[in-house]
Amino acid sequence: MNGLGIIRGLWVTFKHFILTYIEDIRAGKKRYYTQEGILARTRSDVRGAFTIQYPEEKYPVPEEFRYIPFLVYEEGENREKNYRCTSCGICAKVCPPQCIWIVRTTDPNTGKPIPAPAEFYIDVDICMNCGLCAEYCPFDAIKMDHDYEIASYNRFADHIFNKERLGKPLSYYAQIRPQNFAREEAARKAELEAKAARKPAAT
Amino acid sequence: MIVNLGPQHPSTHGVFRMVVVLDGETIVDLKPVFGYLHRNHEKIGERCTWLQIMPFTDRLDYISSMSNNFGYALAVERLMGIKPPERAEYIRVMMAELTRIVSHLVSIGFLLNDLGAYFTPVLYALEERELILDIFEAVSGSRMMCNYFRFGGVARDLPEGVLEKVKDLVFERLPRKIDELDRYLTRNEIVRVRTEGVGVLTAEQAIALSATGPVLRASGVPYDIRRADPYSIYDRFEFDVAVRYHGDVYDRYLLRLDEIRQSIRILKQVLKDLPEGPVQVGKPQWQVRVPAGESYGRVEGPKGELGYYIVSNGKPNPWRYHVRAPSFINLTSLAQMARGGKVADVVVILGSIDIVLGEVDR
Repeated sequence: MNGLGIIRGLWVTFKHFILTYIEDIRAGKKRYYTQEGILARTRSDVRGAFTIQYPEEKYPVPEEFRYIPFLVYEEGENREKNYRCTSCGICAKVCPPQCIWIVRTTDPNTGKPIPAPAEFYIDVDICMNCGLCAEYCPFDAIKMDHDYEIASYNRFADHIFNKERLGKPLSYYAQIRPQNFAREEAARKAELEAKAARKPAAT
Repeated sequence: MIVNLGPQHPSTHGVFRMVVVLDGETIVDLKPVFGYLHRNHEKIGERCTWLQIMPFTDRLDYISSMSNNFGYALAVERLMGIKPPERAEYIRVMMAELTRIVSHLVSIGFLLNDLGAYFTPVLYALEERELILDIFEAVSGSRMMCNYFRFGGVARDLPEGVLEKVKDLVFERLPRKIDELDRYLTRNEIVRVRTEGVGVLTAEQAIALSATGPVLRASGVPYDIRRADPYSIYDRFEFDVAVRYHGDVYDRYLLRLDEIRQSIRILKQVLKDLPEGPVQVGKPQWQVRVPAGESYGRVEGPKGELGYYIVSNGKPNPWRYHVRAPSFINLTSLAQMARGGKVADVVVILGSIDIVLGEVDR
């Protein structure tokens, strides 16, 4: 019969429509603007509406999520920032859109290079968040961030991040990427132990 | 009368212009004009090192970045003579098939949009897509620009909990939802009237225009690179090459539904025997050594044969880098399909080819 296919199809839409209300009534106030509600709406067995009201509600990002890189520093005793970066420049070389600019530190007396960056810039408008810099950094000094809300008004003043703007403490890194952090710390520890074990044998 | 459709129009799926010669409402001739999104991809590829091209391949067909990575990785691996470990191969196939589902869902959804079913069907399709993109995000860090494949493996192992999510989708949700989409649309009289017998491309014409992918298979040619020239580990899986015989828009739509079902079938087998082990050969290197020579790596992307032709002279960057983009070549069949049809159908025919302008213009 003509029109039967349309009615059958529209039944699917109608079911979705009704389900949203059933779910809303069943969950009560828990469904919107709560962490529990957001998680329930992102699961695969969600029924009814699954939209997230963005600025008010935020979708939790997974650990591997990557956005503009940041420089990891370890906090010293007097709260000074010890950047892990040695300004080796691998991140700048591997960066596909070439948005990283590093100035090396040189000793003012001897003129020899010191393994620390004097300046470190990332043009975040050019950065394409590919994550290659973080992946290939041999010192775990540059990592991808989770903070994606960086919109601002002035392109030239605000979108070229310098070392201060890029630097974030190690504790922040451990907080946003706990599993990666634990894995790297374990590898670091194993390497130190292996070094310690090698030394007495050599002497 | 000559009418310009596009370039700034939502129904052209990007910045694409069609110069249509009309006689009343009938199309006498059609000329596609593209290049508005040209980004110099191939020339940039010659400037970049081998690895740096990987994230740029995401931007070709931005709906299915994992397949693009796959093709490029295959081409370079063939030249380097390395083979990824077992687990990496399985993960690659898993990602490629999930990508195919994503791409076909988008295609089906937006085809209905082009028909005038304003945004209701496409949202049902996009709901499933979002769940798959969540998996991509957890695995690779990005929803669309995945940049996940490396030469000799993949960037990182699957994080905790991802496999459960994939299993849940593949065994529970996707088959159910694809059936729902099928119930919703396939027998809808308006869909059938608007698509059956519209934009017909016969098998001979499709071959002559070297169309690939769903466009070719919907015309009755069961040609699929996964079967014709099995790459990676596709020779181990049991699946049927979906084929339909009328070559019209309706068959292309049905064929995409069939292919999603076949992809789910492959995914079930992948999940059954996913082995443990490393996901990359050797240590990750930011500067790979590629011996001089040339190679062509091709995969059956969601839109057709996606090939990468690379020529190396032993330097850190390719000497020549060329992409055989399926949407670009399928697009040449548009004039053939549209000729003699009505102007209102042109948008639907274009939607049924499933072009992505990022790939057409490169």
